[in-house]
Amino acid sequence: MSKSLIMVTNITQAMKGKSILLRNGIRADIVRTPNRSEMHSCGYSIYVPYKTDEAEKILNQYGVKIIGRTERVGGDDLS
Amino acid sequence: MIYLDNSATTFPKPLSVVQAMNEATRYFGANPGRGGYALAIRASEEMYKSRRVLAEFFNTQSEENVVFTLNCTQAINMVLKGFLKSGDHVVVSCLEHNAVMRPLKVLESKGISYTVADIVPYNNDETMNNFRKAINIHTKLFVCTHASNVLGYRMPIERLTAMAHQYGIMMLVDAAQSAGVFSIDILDSGIDFLCGAGHKGLYGTMGVGFLITDKSELLETIIEGGTGSNSISFEQPNIMPDKFESGTPNLAGVVALRYGVQFVKSKETERIYNHEFNLINSLYNNLSKNPKIRLYTPPLEYGKIAPVLSFNINGYDSETVAEILSKNNIAVRAGLHCAPLAHKFIETEKTGTVRISPSVFTTQKEIMYLERVISKI
Repeated sequence: MSKSLIMVTNITQAMKGKSILLRNGIRADIVRTPNRSEMHSCGYSIYVPYKTDEAEKILNQYGVKIIGRTERVGGDDLS
Repeated sequence: MIYLDNSATTFPKPLSVVQAMNEATRYFGANPGRGGYALAIRASEEMYKSRRVLAEFFNTQSEENVVFTLNCTQAINMVLKGFLKSGDHVVVSCLEHNAVMRPLKVLESKGISYTVADIVPYNNDETMNNFRKAINIHTKLFVCTHASNVLGYRMPIERLTAMAHQYGIMMLVDAAQSAGVFSIDILDSGIDFLCGAGHKGLYGTMGVGFLITDKSELLETIIEGGTGSNSISFEQPNIMPDKFESGTPNLAGVVALRYGVQFVKSKETERIYNHEFNLINSLYNNLSKNPKIRLYTPPLEYGKIAPVLSFNINGYDSETVAEILSKNNIAVRAGLHCAPLAHKFIETEKTGTVRISPSVFTTQKEIMYLERVISKI
C-alpha cells in the first residue's frame, strides 16, 4: 500500500494543504493521523489517494509544514 | 433606544453575524482541531476560513499568523508579557488604554520600564519627534494605539513602525478602535504585532479578539495547554497558531467575526468611515456653537481622527450627563473609558468626559435628536 497520508504539524496546515491541493486539481481530505508512534500523537494528515508524490511536492512548494508520510488504514474513500 | 457607545462594542450587529452565531452553535458546534469526525472537521474548516478572511483583510502573509484570542486586551498581554525581558524599555503614546498600561505596570516590578510620548494633535512630525526622544538603548518595543478611544486621534502607525525598525525596535499596534474604520496593511506597514478586538468596528460578537504576527518566535507563551496537536508532549507546541491558542476556542464567535469582516468589506472601510465621520463632524460643529459645551479636540480633520467625540457640559459631571441622556433613551459612555492616560493628556482625569461613538447603523436623525437633548440640559 502506498503512503497516501501526508502528515502535517496541525489542523491549520491540514486545512491550508487541502485547499492548495484542491486548487491544483488534486483530490484530498483531512483525517486524523493514526497513532502509530509517540511522534504522531494527536495530529492531522492530508489524505491523498492519488498523485500523492505530486501533492507532497506542491505542498512543499507552498510551505505547508509536512512531518512525514504514512499509510492509510481503512477504505480509500474521499468525502 | 439610540445606541452611541459603539467604541465599547458595536450594537446592533449585522443580521449575517447573528445568523452565523446561531448556525455555528446549532449545526457545527463540535470542538475544532480535536476530532476526526465530519462535524469536527467542519468546525475546523470554519475556523480556518475565518483565519483566511482576517489574514486577507489585514494583508498578512499567511493565515497561520492569525491567532484568535478572547479580546484585544489578551492579545496585548500576550505580546507585552511574552516579548519583554527584565531591563527592556518600552515607549507608549499618551493615549494608551489600560489594556496596555496595566500590564506594563505589572511588568515594571519585573524590571521593565516605559516612557510615555506625548502626541501633538494633527502634527505627526512632532509626534514622531516625541517618540524618537523617548527612545533609549534599552528600548525594545513601541506600543501605540491606532486611534484613541477617547479623542479619536489617528496615530501615524506606519511612520512610527518605520522609525521603530530603524532603531531595531518592534512595533505593537492596538487596533481596537480602528479596525474596520481605517484600513490596516501589515505587509505594507511592517507592523510586528497587530492586536485587535472582533466586536467593535469589525462587527463580530464579544469574546473574540486577535493577534496577528509573523514574529511568533520572539514571543514566549503566557498560557499553555491543550491544542489538539502533538498531545504526547508536555511541551507547548511551537507551531502557529497552536502556540498561542491553548484550550477550546470560541468557535461561534470566530465564525461570526468572519461574517462581521465580510460585512465591513461589503460596505467598504472608507465608506463606513465617511459615514461616521460626517455624523461626528456635524455633531462637533453643532456642539461647538453651544457655550456650555467643552470639546477636547480641535475642529475635526477628515482622515486624521476616528469617529469618536468627547465632551463635557459646564456644571455637570460626565456621569450625570450620561444619565440624563440615558433617561432620554440615548446610550453613551461617560467617565475615563479605561484610558486614564488619555484623560490626563486633556486634563479630564478627575471629571471624565461624555463620549459619543456612532456605527455604520447610526443615522443623522439620531444625532440630531442627541443634539436636541443636549441643548436642553
